[in-house]
Amino acid sequence: MSKPARYIRHVKVSEREGAGEWKAERLSSLVLIPLALWGLWSAWTLSGAGYDGALDWFRSPVNATVLAITLLISVWHMNMGLKVIVDDYIHKPSSRTALLGLIGALCLLLAAAGVFFIVRLALGSAPLPAGLGA
Amino acid sequence: MSSSPLPGDASNDPVTDQTGRFVRQPNGRVRPLSPHLQIWRFHITMWGSILNRFAAGALSVGTLFIGAWLAAAAFGSDAYAGFAGLMGSPLGLLIWFGVTLAAAYHLTAGIRHLIWDAGSGLTPKAADNLTVASFVAALVIAVGFWIVLFATGKVVL
Repeated sequence: MSKPARYIRHVKVSEREGAGEWKAERLSSLVLIPLALWGLWSAWTLSGAGYDGALDWFRSPVNATVLAITLLISVWHMNMGLKVIVDDYIHKPSSRTALLGLIGALCLLLAAAGVFFIVRLALGSAPLPAGLGA
Repeated sequence: MSSSPLPGDASNDPVTDQTGRFVRQPNGRVRPLSPHLQIWRFHITMWGSILNRFAAGALSVGTLFIGAWLAAAAFGSDAYAGFAGLMGSPLGLLIWFGVTLAAAYHLTAGIRHLIWDAGSGLTPKAADNLTVASFVAALVIAVGFWIVLFATGKVVL
């Protein structure tokens, strides 16, 4: 634990990963500001548009790409935020590790499933589950 | 580091403290105990912080609904109609209004935090004002969005 402290311009360098997490939280927040506004605009477009309207919307490569990027950055940001909440309230190391593992797995599943659905919708694939084997 | 007790106040001596105002930390050091929640005076930045974390949690649940929407679209018109019918019910609309409000407040509170991180707005007065502004802006965005949705007939109850 007690490595010699490192300094950059007289400021102590973190011995762990705190600074990296801090920067990643701010970077994802900044990127999510325009994406959230785009999401509001998209929600406006999709509301009441029905299945055909949704399919039309997904066929646009810009919509599909921005939605996939928004989903991935949101899940990344969400994973970091949930980790902070768990770190704050769960003090038993084994419980914390287990909970963080579960949250990470759920986030990965959500991201993977979401991108899978978006890609299929963008390509105009046949509806699931029939299209799975095609 | 040694802490010398203040003269004339025995309870400030951490070693002989009987008042519970000092605790022995896991590393063995004696430190003053933080005042607990019940005796904090609630102030608006506190509400701002609590509600921001609450909104973050609500949005985490909201992503599951977004995921369900993507799945419904990918599973075809019947699945999509079923999902849209469920989400068009009063309870479903309430859920999506909640997601909108949580997203709007997480956005405005997040911008407030980025302003603070840049080193601005950190006096008590400015911090209070920023927090009020984040509440008002979030309400305007979320309520305004839904008023327009209903007014244009895109959503009907």
